[in-house]
Amino acid sequence: MRNLKRTSQLFFALALLLSMVAGLGTVSAQDLKVLRVGMGAAGTTVVWDVALATDTTSHTFIEMMFPGLAPRDETTGLPQHGMAEEWEISEDGRVYTFKIKEGVPWVVYDPATDSVVEVTDEAGNVRYVTAHDFVYGALRTMDPETASNYGYLPADWVEGGNAFNEGTGAREDVKIRAVDDYTLEITSPEPAGFLLQVYGLWVFAAQPQWTIEEHGDNWTLPENYHVYGTFVLKSYEPGSRVEIIKNPFWPGTESHPIPKLDVIEAVFLDASAALAAYEAGELDTIEEVPLPDLPRLQVERPDELYIGSRDCTYYYGFNVQKPPVDNVHMRRALSAAIDRQTLVEQVLGRGELPAGFFSRPNFAASATQEEYPDLGAHSDPELARQELELYFEETGNTLETMPQLTLMYNTSEAHAIIAQAVQQMWKENLGIEVQVANQEWQTYLDLLTEDAPQIWRLGWCADYPDPHNFLGDVFYSTSGNNHTNWANDEFDSLIDEAKVMTDFEARKPLYARAEHILTWEDAAIAPIYFYTKLSMIGTHLDASPSIIGIERYDKWDILG
Amino acid sequence: MLQYFTRSLLGLIVVLFVVSIITFALMHQVPGGPFASEKKLPQTVLNNLNAKYKLDDPVWKQYIDYMADLVIPRITTGEWKYSVTNDYLFNIKLPVGDNTTLRWMNFGPSYTDRTRSVNGIFKAHLPVSFQLGLAAMFVATVIGIPLGTVAALRKNTIFDYFSMSVAILGVSVPAIVLGPLLQYVVAVELKWLPTTGWGTFEQLIMPAFALGFAQSALIARLTRASLLQVLNEDYIRTAQAKGLRNHQVIVVHAMKNAMIPVVTVMGPLFAALLTGTFVIEKVFGLPGLGHYFVVSINQRDYATIMGTTLLFAFFIVIANFIVDLTYVWLDPRIRFD
Repeated sequence: MRNLKRTSQLFFALALLLSMVAGLGTVSAQDLKVLRVGMGAAGTTVVWDVALATDTTSHTFIEMMFPGLAPRDETTGLPQHGMAEEWEISEDGRVYTFKIKEGVPWVVYDPATDSVVEVTDEAGNVRYVTAHDFVYGALRTMDPETASNYGYLPADWVEGGNAFNEGTGAREDVKIRAVDDYTLEITSPEPAGFLLQVYGLWVFAAQPQWTIEEHGDNWTLPENYHVYGTFVLKSYEPGSRVEIIKNPFWPGTESHPIPKLDVIEAVFLDASAALAAYEAGELDTIEEVPLPDLPRLQVERPDELYIGSRDCTYYYGFNVQKPPVDNVHMRRALSAAIDRQTLVEQVLGRGELPAGFFSRPNFAASATQEEYPDLGAHSDPELARQELELYFEETGNTLETMPQLTLMYNTSEAHAIIAQAVQQMWKENLGIEVQVANQEWQTYLDLLTEDAPQIWRLGWCADYPDPHNFLGDVFYSTSGNNHTNWANDEFDSLIDEAKVMTDFEARKPLYARAEHILTWEDAAIAPIYFYTKLSMIGTHLDASPSIIGIERYDKWDILG
Repeated sequence: MLQYFTRSLLGLIVVLFVVSIITFALMHQVPGGPFASEKKLPQTVLNNLNAKYKLDDPVWKQYIDYMADLVIPRITTGEWKYSVTNDYLFNIKLPVGDNTTLRWMNFGPSYTDRTRSVNGIFKAHLPVSFQLGLAAMFVATVIGIPLGTVAALRKNTIFDYFSMSVAILGVSVPAIVLGPLLQYVVAVELKWLPTTGWGTFEQLIMPAFALGFAQSALIARLTRASLLQVLNEDYIRTAQAKGLRNHQVIVVHAMKNAMIPVVTVMGPLFAALLTGTFVIEKVFGLPGLGHYFVVSINQRDYATIMGTTLLFAFFIVIANFIVDLTYVWLDPRIRFD
């Protein structure tokens, strides 16, 4: 018994000591504006390397730390002046000349002084961001040695890039160059209406050559991680926590104003854990809300719940070579028999938007069904039954004799619920009994590539904010992402035509027509819904939630 | 003893080799690959990735290269630049030449977490799982053994029923229920402890309890059953007949022997707890290693699958070895030679 007492005393003392140590750090942070964010899922790791990042969480940080030439405004989707103060486009629409903002220093966190310091070169001079850093950044991303997943993005849109990325062309032949320290010139292999959006992406951001060459893969450690944007990396615990602090040397641009916050602390938690922490007051905002809690939150905390959008579309594709979906009337019947409104309201319930077009509505050149109400797929049971009759007439089949249909999805609770709901709708509206089946994700992907099932699900998220990234990059006849086996010459030529036009408004009707071919005339796919992003935002915040899925916390503020 | 030790060590090596071959063969058999995604990568990019990670080589060559870099120590001289593909666990500086270093055990780069090596993943996450595992084991033992003992000594009394009810509760309430429940009551409502996170003692309490409680139930039931059996043995009657105090009979004679099945279970249990527990990590947002056991398989992150599997196999073998050693102490009749 005596022993037990002593142990418990020791334990208590230890606990006290630990809590005191933990308390020390927060005292000095009292006057600072600290935003505490719950992000991603537990275990999420951040890929800090600009050339290698592929996920939303990594991009959230990189967008703040490495502002691009013309970043997209996260609330409107339109390109803004970032590191490029101005730009000129040549007569033929292929050569883009950017004037780079002067006087932006490279900075790094200095643990010795617990502050942000400017990076200096061997001679002790401050290193400023120059056009050379942008050239280096784009070239490093497309370098085959780097083996970046996004290497194709700069490679596709800079002349000579693809040859370099393949290993057949020389680095010197890639047409991106620094005319002088603050003038960057990029030559595209062909004109395109969305080049400014592409050049504004992170894959074209400046990268710090000296630290990458000195430290190799360790350049992403906080002490080696040279950045120039609004915030600087202070500490990173993989899978659990990130702390970034304000860069006092950042001069501010249209896209990245001088931040009002001092510190942003991000923790990685699963949705329910994040909500618990949020409700306990440990977090100011969380990026995900668990679905079962949604009805309660709508009643208890309606002012904090925010439904934003993400650049993704959920769709069912048809393999147009497999009967009965080789027949367009059957495909149309299936598509029209899906009650999208009911699906998003009753089954999903996260404020998703029903989709009749494939590409997202919120890009500058996007055609929407509000503007073109007669085009695209519509949910209409009557129309569905008419199309089914046409199918029966054309093929001589009946409900009993038509081939069995199978809908496949990758194993996941969310996809299962949707598949079952759609299965039910097809049964009620058309009388067709469809089997649903699922497969583990990677096995499923293999199947799609090799021998796509009759009906399958996929989602598509934007790489760059333009309808071409949806229609052109997925369903162009030669695209590797097109698992439908469907090709249409008129569709391809519309895409080709719209691609090179620079006037957003003039491109819209072409995309609207292309959408109509894809989703109704040929009905190669049945778009289902546009993704949303649910978040909780504390009422004490002055927030500007993003419509593109990547939050720009550096623009937020804490009130009072 | 020495002979036993050598034999165990050889056994360890054989086990690890067999595990490595089976794992390597199995994971390359499964469809998919580390770079498959909803968005198909262009062929050029795939080629670059396969070249970088040497996935173009035949599988047997990949295996031999992997094992060679893991098992055979290398000596390097001159300037050394870190990269995720050549991150060694042991870097021992030799007192000769220009920066001559002995490097050993490279588990390779993670294919999906592009800026980290498998060794980097171990270094960042194993300590977390290790501390949590120890704490959970502590909770399990401190609750489980007394409960089981009380239940056995007061068989068929209210104490027994109470202890076993607690044990059944522990077994039947999984961590995925207990965790969020604790979180809600203790952290959100009572605000006694932080809900999530890692780094302070307060943050360790709830996950350690949630994890340890279920294991304590297992230990309690085993302790009870085993102790009941031992109490009926002849030597216990002898000890009592000799007039030893009841307290002494139980603690010195009965308990020690009754622990043998308990320790047998605790060995592998301990190994499993130390190498990470997926569910508890998710519930409490802990940066443990359990995440990588699950996610690496979903993502076909070959090097991480190999690393985590070998690490787990290593811990299991070591834990069983320690269990064997404790047998000798618990029961003097057990010998190794």
